Amino acid sequence: MGFKIGIDVGGTFTDFLLMARGGRTSVHKELSTPADPSNAVMAGLAALAQRQSIPFERFVREIERIVHGTTVTTNAVLTGNAARTGLLTTRGFRDALQMRRGVREEMYDNRYHPPAPIVPRYLRLPVTERVDAGGAIVAPLAAADVAAAIERFRSGGVEAVAICFLHSHANRRNEAEAARLVREALPEVYVSVSSEVLPQVRFYERTSTTVLNAGVGPILSRYLRSLTRKLDELRYRGTLLIMQSNGGVASPQAVARLAAMTLLSGPAAAPAAGLACMAAQRERSFITVDMGGTSFDAALVRNGAPAVTTSGTVNRYALALPSMEINTVGAGGGSIAWIDDGGLLHMGPQSAGADPGPACYGRGGVEPTCTDANLVLGYLCAEFFAGGRIRLDVRAAERAIRDRIAKPLGMDIVEAAHGMYHVINVNMASAIREISVQKGYDPREFPLICAGGAGPIHGAAIAAELGIRRILMPRESSIFCASGMLRTDLKHDYVRSCAGALPAGGGDSGRIHELLREMQAEARVTLKGEGIALRRQRLRCSMDLRYLGQYHEVNVEVPEQAVRKSDWNAVRRRFHEQHDRLYGYSLREEGTTVELLNLRLGAIGLTAKPRLERRARASASPRHALKGTRLAYLPGDRKFGKVPVYDGDRLGHGNRLAGPAILESVNTSIVVPTGYRAEYDALGNCILTT
Amino acid sequence: MKKTKPDPIQVSVLQRRLKSITEEMGLTLLRTTRSPILNEARDFVTGLYDAKGQMLEQTEYIPVLAFALQPACENVLRFFGDDIHPGDVILHNDVFSGGNQNNDVAVFKPIFHGRKLVAWAACKGHQADIGGAVRGGYNPEAREVWQEALRIPAVKIHERGKLRRDVWNLIFANIRLRIVEEDIKAQIGGCTVGERGFKQLIARFGERKLAGLIGHLFDSAEKMVRKEIQAIPDGLYRGESWAFYDGVTDGTKMKINLAVTIRGEAVTFDFSGSSAQTPGFVNAPYSATASALLLTFLMLIKPDIPHNAGILRPIRIVNPEGSFLNARFPAATTFGNSITGPTSDAIFRAFSLALPKMVTAGWNRFLGFAVSGHDPRHNAPYVDILFLSLKGGSGGTWMADGYDHIGLINCAGGILAQDYEMFEIHDPHFLIKHEYLTDSAGAGRWRGGLGVETEFVMRGEDATGVAFGDGVEEEARAFGFFGGKPGWKNAITLKFPDGKERPVKTKEIVRGIPAGTVFRQLAGGGGGYGEPFERPIDRVLEDVRNGVISAEAARRDYGVAIDPDSLVLQKDATEAIRKAKA
Repeated sequence: MGFKIGIDVGGTFTDFLLMARGGRTSVHKELSTPADPSNAVMAGLAALAQRQSIPFERFVREIERIVHGTTVTTNAVLTGNAARTGLLTTRGFRDALQMRRGVREEMYDNRYHPPAPIVPRYLRLPVTERVDAGGAIVAPLAAADVAAAIERFRSGGVEAVAICFLHSHANRRNEAEAARLVREALPEVYVSVSSEVLPQVRFYERTSTTVLNAGVGPILSRYLRSLTRKLDELRYRGTLLIMQSNGGVASPQAVARLAAMTLLSGPAAAPAAGLACMAAQRERSFITVDMGGTSFDAALVRNGAPAVTTSGTVNRYALALPSMEINTVGAGGGSIAWIDDGGLLHMGPQSAGADPGPACYGRGGVEPTCTDANLVLGYLCAEFFAGGRIRLDVRAAERAIRDRIAKPLGMDIVEAAHGMYHVINVNMASAIREISVQKGYDPREFPLICAGGAGPIHGAAIAAELGIRRILMPRESSIFCASGMLRTDLKHDYVRSCAGALPAGGGDSGRIHELLREMQAEARVTLKGEGIALRRQRLRCSMDLRYLGQYHEVNVEVPEQAVRKSDWNAVRRRFHEQHDRLYGYSLREEGTTVELLNLRLGAIGLTAKPRLERRARASASPRHALKGTRLAYLPGDRKFGKVPVYDGDRLGHGNRLAGPAILESVNTSIVVPTGYRAEYDALGNCILTT
Repeated sequence: MKKTKPDPIQVSVLQRRLKSITEEMGLTLLRTTRSPILNEARDFVTGLYDAKGQMLEQTEYIPVLAFALQPACENVLRFFGDDIHPGDVILHNDVFSGGNQNNDVAVFKPIFHGRKLVAWAACKGHQADIGGAVRGGYNPEAREVWQEALRIPAVKIHERGKLRRDVWNLIFANIRLRIVEEDIKAQIGGCTVGERGFKQLIARFGERKLAGLIGHLFDSAEKMVRKEIQAIPDGLYRGESWAFYDGVTDGTKMKINLAVTIRGEAVTFDFSGSSAQTPGFVNAPYSATASALLLTFLMLIKPDIPHNAGILRPIRIVNPEGSFLNARFPAATTFGNSITGPTSDAIFRAFSLALPKMVTAGWNRFLGFAVSGHDPRHNAPYVDILFLSLKGGSGGTWMADGYDHIGLINCAGGILAQDYEMFEIHDPHFLIKHEYLTDSAGAGRWRGGLGVETEFVMRGEDATGVAFGDGVEEEARAFGFFGGKPGWKNAITLKFPDGKERPVKTKEIVRGIPAGTVFRQLAGGGGGYGEPFERPIDRVLEDVRNGVISAEAARRDYGVAIDPDSLVLQKDATEAIRKAKA
């Protein structure tokens, strides 16, 4: 007993991190199987069993916990394969979903299509009912309208029904009544009710979120059934937890109810992985980036807390459930280089993907990619890519760069390759600027954690763009998110709209307490159902506040004591302070009314974190790991130089060296430029400083 | 000696860096401004300009501001000459010296390297009030500029780092709302962010090298635009369109007369022969017409060309003073931006032969209604520009239907409709309906975008509404192209509590609207592109099943027979109708 496994299902690879008792780890990558992703999951588990030399069935029974991240729901929405869904909504407003408030993201492109709505108009059915902004029922629910709609849904063969009525955040009665009728009449259908999914003001965001939840509900349920059946057949006895967009995990039962919580979960474990990496450094503020084949994810963590947003989108539709604030841009090893009509060089966002892949894969790719440039520059080794599993074709890489970039720009191949390397680094640095500078943080005050298969080749160069002088390459760089999954807690978010002025200190706060109690009760039941004892439960309350007349609100954490004493003046003070920090001013002196929009409750169930394996310090010399030298491009000298190459897997705690150097491991390669020093810490991370 | 050629890689990098500086300036304004028209509707622009006032890079959230700053920046330079010093901050809005609209106030901050002026940082935003006779600035009754706004020609509000309190007080003593003062401070903050970013670029590249790279940046954008123009067959192309009702005399209409000449890599837009300026506010300052022209032209070429001054080089504009597209001092001009629709129509028509696959059919014309009054719930005044009700559809184009509910072409989908719940919380209004308007889209092989129908009860007291716009006349419907049909027209009506209905004119102040009045607006659809009978049958069937085209219109306009009750396609009948037409 005692294995813990993090599994991250990505577009190309499914990543595995196995952690044995004592912290010993084992890494595995398996090609993903998009038709039924659980096949790759099971194949990977079998491979891990073999690696442990334990029969598969026994191995499975010895697994204590599996934490699983999946892009099943995301892919369903992006590829237009969401479940057939119907929408029941207030008469007069059936188009809010498709209208998306009338935005066209590309203003000068008259062929830019709106994204197809998950629910076509003929399945968006209006019913007579109405609640006003204050929560009063102006018109009761017309049950006959609901009955007629149910018939349409039945004949339309829907698998899911979303219900969203105007102002149900203020009074859920009509909506709840409609939900009851639909659930009774269509018991096999997945029902997604806005006042259960997101009882929060803003009709478009709530409708869109409720519909997305409906559209992926049956798909996630189906997938989880398939996975749990396979595990059951092997008599799996451990717990299975699913990664959510909010950076926490939840039981399969809980996520099946709120399937949309998995829609932005892909990179959501990165902050937790970063925190674990930083344990040896005793630091809790940093920027993490993860550069894979097609995309680059960047997140900022301050004092151990990653930024959370409620304005995410999936396929250009709003998803207002709380999710980690992660900036994803199209930059990766497969990013394609191209020249515009004005003669300027660009990298991506188009990617050669895994098939045909970069030109150097020799699978028929002719477009020059970032990986091709890295190979030409000597940062990758043709014989040792992916531990030697893929042999890279240098000639093909050179040909692609010469024909498509060097010749048209009138430069030599190396200049062109370095140009590609430089441009993509600038793109990635811009993505980091958006989550740091543009949020009011100076990136130079944060160390950079640089993960992903391709990340460590670019880490130092990206950091130099931003003036960051310390870069950490995690030991499990290529399966970074999978490693984070084992370190996440259970997390559930609740919200209730409660629009009105924030009461004066100790003022009338009956409604606030009532809604808080309601959320607390719901949270306790859910966590208890997930087997979390009371002493491991943490509930945190916050409020969305703004100045009267403002459009954007600020989320302010409310200390427990303030809740207990109804000390809203303390909350008001915090709001002024936070507003000042975020936006450069507050209206404390003006005495402007502070408006309350939403109450929120974050419920956390603490899980036991696996121990991190710390290694004893070895001597400083890295000589034992030296493999030889290779010619690699040195940007400072604008020429190739002989660069020592080390076996990264044989470097460990205490080893120190100075750049230029290349540290090669099976799944990644670290470039240490001239002027940088590299040192390994107790957790096996490599830290570059300059 | 070989001529040194700037490194194209460094130019790419510089362009990306300039863009991110202007984006950062934009985010600063979003965070720090107070007026919803700035931080919600995002009616502002931030940019960097070279020492001569040439645009380097810009971030705009709505296209009509894409080129709104450069003419004013050039004017500031002309006026102050060598009297520009580190620490100066200059304010400007005057439409007779480079401004595009009275309410759009610009802040300019010069950037120095040592003692040398090297660049400008600038922000321009639409202010909630700018003095004049009517709160908010839209005054259909104005006959000259002073009844519209306080004029601010180039004036220093900071001199060598010191606030000129007397000048500051003079300006804000003439503006009704205090938040305007705060928003101007926010714009100064945005310029400081831009200045800081640009100075980092100087530190990185060195001043001389940076200047060389910038030159190449202009050249590269110019080259891209010239290549696009080169691809258009040489010739003279004419287009005309009309704007309706000058706000003074019923039944008036104003002509836009446009001649486009393509010769090699250059293009001339000549508006000679357009109608004379009007006595009311339906006039454009030069900059507003230039902006309208450029945003439409940008839609006709590749969308990813960087927006810097280089793209202006191959473009010549002839727009003689005295017409309603370049009104002579002291004309009222607040309506000027709203003439963008008619101007775009003329441009699309002119290019319909030259670039038939890039032009769109007509867009629904803008018709706005700004409401102000007293909110009895809070015992406080309220004001709202009803963005949700005014957003109609855009025109269809080759290979794409028009965009539904996108709104005026000046903004091209950049301004959002209000969320219903927030709308009812903010305003004393009770919504009855906001949905796509059936049969509003002009029929075509690619149909127009759908318009919308809005209805709500006004519960504010003593409300005033200011209508400004166009598109209610039969002739003002969004036109169809190449056999496509026109879109549905605009209309606003008020139904008073006593049951009387009152249509609202396109330029009019309606005073004393009682609580309980029902406001109803139809925002029309875009024009269709191509023969409707060539639209694939399943696309027509889909629109009918979705209720955005009626079975009746499907038969009449598209030749597709669908049973109106079962919504089942009648194949034989359809074939017969379509065959008969062919």
